[in-house]
Amino acid sequence: MDSFTTGSSGSGSSQLSTDQFIDQMKAQLAQAYAEEFLEIVREKCFDKCITKPGLSLSGSESSCISRCVDRSSRLPVSLAELF
Amino acid sequence: MDSSALNSPDLQRFLNQEKEKAMVNEMVAKLTSVCWDKCITSTPGNKFSSSESACLSNCAQRFMDMTMIIMKRVQSMQ
Repeated sequence: MDSFTTGSSGSGSSQLSTDQFIDQMKAQLAQAYAEEFLEIVREKCFDKCITKPGLSLSGSESSCISRCVDRSSRLPVSLAELF
Repeated sequence: MDSSALNSPDLQRFLNQEKEKAMVNEMVAKLTSVCWDKCITSTPGNKFSSSESACLSNCAQRFMDMTMIIMKRVQSMQ
C-alpha cells in the first residue's frame, strides 16, 4: 500500500517516542483506509451511474455521482453503529 | 546499512519513480477491468467493433472525469 512507504523523510534523528510512532501509524492507517474506501466508492458509483459511457458526463450522470458519493460516505458510519 | 544512504536523493528519486509507475499500473488495471465489463457485453470477436472501441475510449475518459468529481466532493466534505 502506497501510504506505508511514505515515511518520515529526512529523519536523521534517531528515535521517535512510542507515542509519536503510534500517532504516525494511526495517521498512515487512516490514510490507507480512506484510500481503500475511495476505491470502492469509485468502482460502485461508476457501475451504478454510468451505464453507457458517452463523449462527456451528462448532467444526470454527474448528479448521480454526487449523490452516490454522499450516500456512500454515510454507510461506514451507519455500519459502525451496528457493532 | 549506513542510515544516511536511506536519505540519498538518488534513492528518493528512484522510490518516487517506482511509486508513480505502480500508480499508473494500478490505474490501467482498474480501467481495463471496469471498462471491459461495461463495454464488452457479448462474446468477444476477433476485433473490437467500432461501438466497442468507442465505448472503451469513452469509458476510460469518463472514469477519469468521475474520479475528479469524487475527489473534489470528498475534499469539500472535510
